[in-house]
Amino acid sequence: MAEEFRDVLDADREEGRRRAVRALLRHPLLTPTHPDFRLVRTHQGWLADWFARETGWTLHADTAVARLRKIPARHGDGTRSAQVKKNVPFSRRRYALACLALAVLERADGQVTLGWLAERMLAIAGDPGLVEAGMVFTLGTREERADLATVAALLINEGVLGKVAGDEAAFVSGSGDALYDVNRKVLAVLLVTRRGPSTVQAGELHERLVAITEDVLPDTDDGRNRLIRHTLTRRLLDDPVLYYRELTEAERAYLERQRGPLLKRLVEGTGFVAEVRAEGIALLDPTREATDLGMPEEGTDGHATLLLADFLAQHLRMYPDVPVEVAAARAEMERLAVRHRGLWRKNASAAELTVGAIHRLDALGLIHVRGESLIPLPALARFGFGEPTITGKKGA
Amino acid sequence: MSHSRTQVFAHLSAPNASLYRRIMAVFLANKRRFVVHLRPEDIAEELHADGGEAVTQAQVDEALKKLDEWDNLRADPDTGRVTTVEDFYRARFLYQLSREGEAAERALELFDRELGRRGELQAVALEDIRVRLHALTGMDGEQDPAVVHNLLLEIMSRLDSLAANASAFMGGLQRTIDLQDVEEEAFLAYKDRLIAYLERFVSELVVKAFDIADMIRRLTHVDDLLRLAAEREAADVAPGEEDRPGEAAAAKLAEWRDRWSGLRSWFVGDRTHPCQAELLRMRTRQAIPDLLATISVLQERRSGRSDRSADFRTLARWFAQSPTEADAHRLWRAAFGLTSARHLTVEAEEDDSVTSTTSWLDAPQAEISVRLRATGHYAKRGAPRKVVDRSAEREELAAFVAAEREQTELARKRLATGRPTPLSAFPELDPVEFRLFLRLLGEALALGPGEVTTRTADGALEIRLRPRDGWAEIRTEEGVLRGPDHELTIIDRVAGAHG
Repeated sequence: MAEEFRDVLDADREEGRRRAVRALLRHPLLTPTHPDFRLVRTHQGWLADWFARETGWTLHADTAVARLRKIPARHGDGTRSAQVKKNVPFSRRRYALACLALAVLERADGQVTLGWLAERMLAIAGDPGLVEAGMVFTLGTREERADLATVAALLINEGVLGKVAGDEAAFVSGSGDALYDVNRKVLAVLLVTRRGPSTVQAGELHERLVAITEDVLPDTDDGRNRLIRHTLTRRLLDDPVLYYRELTEAERAYLERQRGPLLKRLVEGTGFVAEVRAEGIALLDPTREATDLGMPEEGTDGHATLLLADFLAQHLRMYPDVPVEVAAARAEMERLAVRHRGLWRKNASAAELTVGAIHRLDALGLIHVRGESLIPLPALARFGFGEPTITGKKGA
Repeated sequence: MSHSRTQVFAHLSAPNASLYRRIMAVFLANKRRFVVHLRPEDIAEELHADGGEAVTQAQVDEALKKLDEWDNLRADPDTGRVTTVEDFYRARFLYQLSREGEAAERALELFDRELGRRGELQAVALEDIRVRLHALTGMDGEQDPAVVHNLLLEIMSRLDSLAANASAFMGGLQRTIDLQDVEEEAFLAYKDRLIAYLERFVSELVVKAFDIADMIRRLTHVDDLLRLAAEREAADVAPGEEDRPGEAAAAKLAEWRDRWSGLRSWFVGDRTHPCQAELLRMRTRQAIPDLLATISVLQERRSGRSDRSADFRTLARWFAQSPTEADAHRLWRAAFGLTSARHLTVEAEEDDSVTSTTSWLDAPQAEISVRLRATGHYAKRGAPRKVVDRSAEREELAAFVAAEREQTELARKRLATGRPTPLSAFPELDPVEFRLFLRLLGEALALGPGEVTTRTADGALEIRLRPRDGWAEIRTEEGVLRGPDHELTIIDRVAGAHG
């Protein structure tokens, strides 16, 4: 009986750890209001070890914040944006505003108002680099104030600001203001860069991204191997599909030797399911806890995506490596929309659904978008459908 | 006209304000040397020497004319001798300060002094007040009106200055704490002295204020003292038109009573209205942790490897310079690391038979719910299914649990006899008893070898185990357990405690 009991406890603890890993993969910054915060705190030591060993990401956790410094293995993916409302990604302008707000908050004391923030931001918005890039902030118009309110909403979501009183809507309409507490502990762990951006001289975006995220590892065989392992794990944990042909020769050679134990550790640590195929590896999430986008998914958009995937997969099977024009996808979507008129959201146009579905498939590593053509990638084939086979009791 | 009185301040907001003020300064300086009239040439010469911006004679003339217009100066025709023809035809004036002009200058001087004041916490003033109050209380019998009056005047003037300075100081301190117009370096250098200063004042305040309050409470004949002072002052009042004797004294007395109540409220408070001294003490004490918090904010800012604020400004520029929106998202992901991981989801168990060399194109496809594929939803639309009533099952379950608990209880009673029993002498055990027996035996043996005493995790049973020679066999319905014989004692601690 005690034995059984201990087994149950062990299993419970391991499941808790897996859930904490997934929570951090989904939300790398957690504050005590998040339901999984306590779980992460409970397993803090184990999690810090696990992430450091497997990925080289550090985990910081104290009473105010839990932060996984998640650095991507590569910088090609432009589909993960900051969002406040679902499906409305931040614009460059809003990002720039958010950074200005953070620069001001860095110098602020315990409490600020949105109006105070705007005033201080104006003082530093005249930066020649910003003006040259065409960003002129006056914060006078309603639209600009709305941008600022969106930025405030992002900072509230991340826990940098805590609302005390007032209302952003009133600020936007110019009739009021909002008061916030500044959470300095969250502010202090917001940036994950390995090097301060202000110390980087590079002028080209890619160089800049590499410069701020580069790990410094000893130039030994062991160090190089560790770097390769971390790169691979980061991709497997953070990205939907890892295609072999995107890897360097050294990475491929390492993966060939170490794939078994590597995947075993990841699967044990996360509760994911590994799908290993000739073209690459996908870690599938049966809990749907560690992903912002899912496939398959319910609802009009999910359904439209699924059906378009079906169409593209058929194409992939028949004509491998031949791109599909966006126009063809849109035409298919129009046909689908007619068939599913009764089930789908009334106000969704075929063009809009096509754009949404393409974005989702691209974000999930199932297609490549190159201008006006779509290149289906191998993993898309897992979503093709034959006629359903009925199994189970006959005549039931 | 009301505005003509204040138009002597007009030069402050005029375009040439600084020149006007310089000219007025020249007049004031000369007046101190009892020089009253000044010629424009003299003024120009003095302005030349005061270290300010160079001015021409024409500018000075113009400015003097303006100041005359605003009544700051008075111009009188200059009847002195001239030496050139041009001078003779030029309108010549001698200038002197007007009464309004002089008052305005004095007001400005006072204004500057008040604003420039940093304020101080006057621990010495406390001592002064205390000493004078002591003198007041010490006076018995015949009181000299002059002495009483002087003491009261001194007390009030010290209090006045203490209060004004304290509020100025606290205001300045608050600005320091908020780090407004204060250099960080200066602040850090200054902080230790500031904290020491605050501490000294707080300790003085605690001791002296108590003493002062005590004396104020003990002064019973205050009104007599105040009356003495008032009458003495009333004697000095210049005779007015509708004055009647006694009225001036009454007015003065009222004034003194006000002042006294002010003093009282400064040092003696009650439960609902804490006295000013108490408030000042609280505020001063609060200032110390506030200052420390400010210092920690400064330290926090310094501890970052690079200047965080500069980092964020650089990022703002990078975002602005991103070629496309997608590039901005890439930068967001790299710099802030707040984006979610992204994975395909899976519904059914994976088929393990597929080898890792199978292409996605050939492998079996993901099993996706037929309904999801057809309709976009997992659940059928429409009314929710009827909720099944499970109360019968629940009852059955409860009965089962109760029966099991009873059985365990019985087993415990049979095993926990409290007597040492060799294992070989145990009777045949039923499954429930045997499970309990095994658990107890396991716990005891885990501590061994040798003689051991232990308790179950819940503390209810105590187990003693002593090895014996030979072997023991225990029969159960499920089989026979064999092992080295032991003498086992099981004591029910719960029953023992109750019984």
